Amino acid sequence: MNTFGLKIIASDKVFYNGRCSRLVVPALDGEKEILAHHQDMVIATKEGSLKFTSSDEEAWVTAVVGIGFVHIANNRVTVLVDTAERPEDIDEVRARAAMERAKEQMRQEQSIQEYHVSRASLARAMVRLKEAGKHEIK
Amino acid sequence: MASTREIQSRMKSIKDTMKITNAMYMISSTKLRKARKSLEETETYFYTLQTMMSRILRHLPELENEYFDIRKDKAPDERVRGIVVVTADKGLAGAYNHNVLKLAEQQMAGCARYKLFVVGELGRQYFAAKGVNISKHFNYTAQNPSLHRARVISETILERFKRGDLDEVYLIYTDMVSSISTEAKLLKLLPMKREEYVQKTGVFSDEIVMNPSPQAVLKNIIPDTVMGYVYGALVESFCSEQNARMMAMEAANKNATAMIHDLSIEYNRVRQALITQEITEVVAGAKAQKKKKQARKGALNLE
Repeated sequence: MNTFGLKIIASDKVFYNGRCSRLVVPALDGEKEILAHHQDMVIATKEGSLKFTSSDEEAWVTAVVGIGFVHIANNRVTVLVDTAERPEDIDEVRARAAMERAKEQMRQEQSIQEYHVSRASLARAMVRLKEAGKHEIK
Repeated sequence: MASTREIQSRMKSIKDTMKITNAMYMISSTKLRKARKSLEETETYFYTLQTMMSRILRHLPELENEYFDIRKDKAPDERVRGIVVVTADKGLAGAYNHNVLKLAEQQMAGCARYKLFVVGELGRQYFAAKGVNISKHFNYTAQNPSLHRARVISETILERFKRGDLDEVYLIYTDMVSSISTEAKLLKLLPMKREEYVQKTGVFSDEIVMNPSPQAVLKNIIPDTVMGYVYGALVESFCSEQNARMMAMEAANKNATAMIHDLSIEYNRVRQALITQEITEVVAGAKAQKKKKQARKGALNLE
């Protein structure tokens, strides 16, 4: 299978840097899969889970990512997101607490700006919980 | 000349102060190490973000976007300038805070209407004492810069910019030029300027497709970019603050050592002078006694 260079960069670390054969990202209007020699493109992504297969092993690697975008140019793909975590690294208790906190904040009367912040943190918490739950079953 | 006791108590107080400055030096050096680490970790992200942003904007078709709105219809004296100032929570960091505040004052003097957003306790107190109205104070954000805090700050700014409360936003922070030199810097956050990103490289590359639409992509990226700048500035400032404090404390230690050295010399001189004086007095007294005795003996002999 053809591969392409993939770099997943979060604001606090470089999550992955290497070859990749398939990449699925959470785009604004649903998931999108990127294969080798994709057209040059910029795709905006939302909070969700991203998965990819590295060239040597066929198993999917999952990452929980925050808002960001994917930049494709000359068979090189850069994923730039604010956060990226492996599902097994997620602390479920903390994620649940964050979700509760965000929900509580949403119920309170607040400005539009505060509403945006709490809605974003709620979305992040829910994605993290979802992925962490999946990981546990396996 | 001061008495020995005075000099001794002076030396003791200097030594006590030195203990504090020494401890502060140690604390800021460990904090600096931590801050440097987080700076290194984030550098890749922001560097890539900036290059990506420039690349995307280069390929961007001409379009109307609220973040590029330069508010042409507003007269210069009607424009409201938002100034985000990043200061420390504490003083004792040499010229660190003064440089930032000086730059902020320059900016405030340069425009008719402004709104201040202050990060850090020291800046808040400074402007409160001067009677300048602060629009919003982000509590204690100078310590431990985190993504969440950067997000809160950037959301506030973007929200007000979109509402039209602010027409342009500047960020004043301290940049770590190298490990020994820092510099207070002014960064324009909003409105975004296309020319700043478009580098005239002359390299032709194919059109990039924006998915789902250029507007949607920009809407997704720009808040993140602004947040990225704010976070980067917070981390840089924190790093610079610790660096400045470390250097200030090092200088204080050096000065204290020099003072103790000088004072101990003075103390020894005073002590020596005292001893010499005492000896002279004793010898003079003894001599006087001896003379008296001899005089008496001479008188007896004569008889």
